[in-house]
Amino acid sequence: MSGKPSLSNGVLLDAADVSKSVQGPEGRLDILGGVSLQVREGESFAIVGASGSGKTTLLGLLAGLDVPSSGRIVLDGHPLHAMDEEARADLRRRLVGFVFQSFHLLPALTAEENVMLPLELEGRDDARSRAREALEAVELATRRRHYPAQLSGGEQQRVAIARAFVHRPRLLFADEPTGNLDQRTGHHISDLMFALNQDHRTTLVLVTHDPKLAARCARQVELDNGRVVTSARLAETLLETRA
Amino acid sequence: MKLLRLSLRSLRREWHLPELRTLGASLVLAVVALGVVATLSTRMERGVLASAAELIGGDLGISSPQALPAEYTSQAARQGLRTSRSASFPSVAFTHGQSQLLDVLATDNAYPLRGTLELDDGREGSVIGHGPAPGTAYLDHRALVALGIRLGDTVQLGGRDLRITAELVRQPDGGELVAMAPRALMNVADAEQAGLLGTGSRARHRLLAAGEPAAVQAWRDWLQAQALPQGAELITPEQTQERMRSAFDRASAFLRLTALLSALLAGVAIALAAQRYARRKTNEVALLRALGTPRRQVLGLLVGTLTLLAVPAVLVGGAVALGLAQLTWHVASQLFATVPTDLPLGPAIAAAAMGLAVLAGFTLPPLARLAEVPPVAVFRESATRRVRRFDALYLVPALVALLLIWSQSGSARLAGVLAVSLLGVAVVAGLLSALLLWTARRVAPGAHPALRLGLAALARRRGMSLVQATALSLGLVALLLLAIVAPALLEGWRRELPSDTPNWFVLNLQDDQRAGFEQALAGMGGQKLNMLPLAVGKLTAINGHPIDQLHFQEERAKDWSDRQLRLSWAGALPPSNQVIAGQWHGEHPAQAEVSIDTMWRDMFALKVGDVMSFNVGEGNIDARVGSIRQVDWTSFQVNFFLVFDPAHASTLPHTWIASFYLPRGHTQALAQLSRDYGNLSLIDVDAMLDRVREIVDQVSGAVRWVLGFSLLAGALVLAAALAASAQERRHEAALLRTLGARRSQLRAAAACEFALLGLVAGLTAAFGAAGTGLWLGHAIFHIEHFVPPLGALLLAALGAAAVVMLLGLAGTRKVSRTSPMRLLREG
Repeated sequence: MSGKPSLSNGVLLDAADVSKSVQGPEGRLDILGGVSLQVREGESFAIVGASGSGKTTLLGLLAGLDVPSSGRIVLDGHPLHAMDEEARADLRRRLVGFVFQSFHLLPALTAEENVMLPLELEGRDDARSRAREALEAVELATRRRHYPAQLSGGEQQRVAIARAFVHRPRLLFADEPTGNLDQRTGHHISDLMFALNQDHRTTLVLVTHDPKLAARCARQVELDNGRVVTSARLAETLLETRA
Repeated sequence: MKLLRLSLRSLRREWHLPELRTLGASLVLAVVALGVVATLSTRMERGVLASAAELIGGDLGISSPQALPAEYTSQAARQGLRTSRSASFPSVAFTHGQSQLLDVLATDNAYPLRGTLELDDGREGSVIGHGPAPGTAYLDHRALVALGIRLGDTVQLGGRDLRITAELVRQPDGGELVAMAPRALMNVADAEQAGLLGTGSRARHRLLAAGEPAAVQAWRDWLQAQALPQGAELITPEQTQERMRSAFDRASAFLRLTALLSALLAGVAIALAAQRYARRKTNEVALLRALGTPRRQVLGLLVGTLTLLAVPAVLVGGAVALGLAQLTWHVASQLFATVPTDLPLGPAIAAAAMGLAVLAGFTLPPLARLAEVPPVAVFRESATRRVRRFDALYLVPALVALLLIWSQSGSARLAGVLAVSLLGVAVVAGLLSALLLWTARRVAPGAHPALRLGLAALARRRGMSLVQATALSLGLVALLLLAIVAPALLEGWRRELPSDTPNWFVLNLQDDQRAGFEQALAGMGGQKLNMLPLAVGKLTAINGHPIDQLHFQEERAKDWSDRQLRLSWAGALPPSNQVIAGQWHGEHPAQAEVSIDTMWRDMFALKVGDVMSFNVGEGNIDARVGSIRQVDWTSFQVNFFLVFDPAHASTLPHTWIASFYLPRGHTQALAQLSRDYGNLSLIDVDAMLDRVREIVDQVSGAVRWVLGFSLLAGALVLAAALAASAQERRHEAALLRTLGARRSQLRAAAACEFALLGLVAGLTAAFGAAGTGLWLGHAIFHIEHFVPPLGALLLAALGAAAVVMLLGLAGTRKVSRTSPMRLLREG
């Protein structure tokens, strides 16, 4: 898909010594400090931490929604930290999908039209048929003409997932995807997300404070006060859990 | 009290919201536009009367072929009125063997009570003076030339030698078409002593009074209760200067139209801003309701906040209106030099009340609906939406707009034209945008990506797009009417008074003088001669009932039934006349027929088929009302209220009246003409023409002032319409950016969206304004052959579409720069 080759040893996303500060009313505020991590193609990766630990900021930087104050982030060989917003938008359109905690569906659009959006932005002619397929995949084919307000929270998130996968991104960012859902629905949604992730061989970067959801990922980092405090492989996490 | 405190706090916190500021600014503008115009109109109305008073030399008068009883004067004095006595008559003046028939006005020293008597005493240009002292006289330029004399010379009038102390430049002459030229002014005591006013003289006596309006009215009532001497008639400002009056009526209709459109524009802006405010407040209201605030209190808080915003806004609007009205008046003060200078406060207060009504009417529906938001909406946004097929509350703004149109237009006709036109525009705009949206849904999939996104954006915000297109169309139609149609109408009006409009009237022409006069006039370069027979008579009966036994609702009826009427006849319908009921009689109807003007129809409650009896000279004529005419009294053509058929009327004793155009600077030739035809009365209407032209210019100026407010109001509508969808747009932009939309993609989509919106609104507005203009021109302003400038309107429509697009793009700049991080921050 990308014109550029992937990084060596299959690393799709590489962040090195990333910091982010903002100017607050009481002077400079450091949100992130010296974060480094690598995400390989096809793996699932969780960012965990308490509220205010900097998870969402890190996700925004990794997805190219914002730029770091210092450090570098390379996505599929593209230096996000050195690109302007336009170039990053271009990259997102081609490579990235998103699932948000609040779903962020456009209220005036039907489920199907919401799913069509990324394809429309690419200017594809088969947007409608592919959107239907994507809705079938999340078992919402019969609700395609419904507006978000007519759908339950779980259904809205399924539409959002269909939208995230419809243009077959190589990398999916999910920000607390089950945060607004009850446990059962949340579980169902995460099953769906991981299943699609497997089917499409998509790389998944997930922000959550739910340890069970994080545990389903192959790797995870924990943030505290803007810094990485632990970085663990799934096997290690499982060992720790058993111990 | 608690509610007031809460409202105040709420207003203080929300003052930064653009929709509240738009509400405030729109309200100020509405009050300013209505206030300025209403104040100007009131003053202009006073000006009309004062101006007419200037022309007759007093506030009210009575004229009679016999000397007026002394009781009339003493009664006026009892009312505290100032009076002036005068008499006019033709008399031959002699000097150095030359003689000339003059139109003499013998006055006392109090003359004139109103207006100015302009004299040239040979020292330093013209001076303002009063009636001549005994033993002296003033002669006009033509009289001096005709008699071959100068200031300081003596002239013999009625056997008395009078010294010419000044040249008569301009005098309040009543605007009555009975003045003989050339003119002379002498003292009334001299005239009496010379026996010029005695029994058997041809003098017409006048008593003029001036003073407080209430006293004038009291004297008028007293006079009307008297048995007036035979042939006596009241001289009232209302009856004089029909042409001037029409000019003023048209002028105020123009002003009212512009103010009304500005206020409606402001109303649209208010409605849009209120809608947006209500949407923004939905979550807050849901929260308040969830926390247990009763619905009544929620509504009270909303109303309280808006009231606290409205009160200072209308006060500021009223004050600005008064200031601007005063400024405009100051600029135009030379038009009505003698009008009382006090500033009428009533119209500004009424405008403030009207502004509050507009605010209440246009904000009520969204606020009332807002108060209905259920507490459960805090959990589920969809609960705020209620599906209503028809919401009667939304008729309130329409009703308020109708009331506004009704109260401000001053005429049911203007109100009707405007209401129907605007409604038509709203409906067409709504239908067109619905069609656009329908097409958008179908065309979008195969269109260019930018167009597809733009169309998708329009279709996404279906309801908002409809509201935006309709509001923009209404705003633009009002703007186009003001900016393009109104000036074109004014230009049409001006063209009705081209530079060769008849500027002279001639009276008293006899049958055997017609050919010679025509020839002499042609030799002098006179043009556009229009000659009509003129008989003088009285109305004696209607349908066989003697007129003095009939009672009419209109006060004027009595005045007109008492006075000598000017009657004429014609086989062809005169120009600037239009038959609106019955049929024009033509040359030879079977029985005598008369065609009457609408004023007569209204005054005497006449209809086609009624029989009117007149006494003309020695004879009588009974004529059936064959038709009713609408007469354009502004045309400066010779026109009559009553026109008979020639077959039955031509034997009546008559003279001829004519109008013609003679370029200025022919005083000598006219003096010769006046000498050759001593019995003729030549009347110069140049001064009156100048005055009407001046009025047109002043109105154009005033309209430009009001136009300024309207443009501001239009900009507000535009801003409010575009701002209406800004919040949604920003959220949407953030999402699209996150999904990888390029900035150029967002911009192109917005450009397509706004260009389409602007095009629908612009085209609807252009055709709407053209149609409304055509209708206004014919039905309201009676401007013949008025064609709205369609080319300019279409250009303006395209321009408007471009402006909407650019403004939309400018508004979207910020939107397209929205950081995609916003979504993550929102959760």
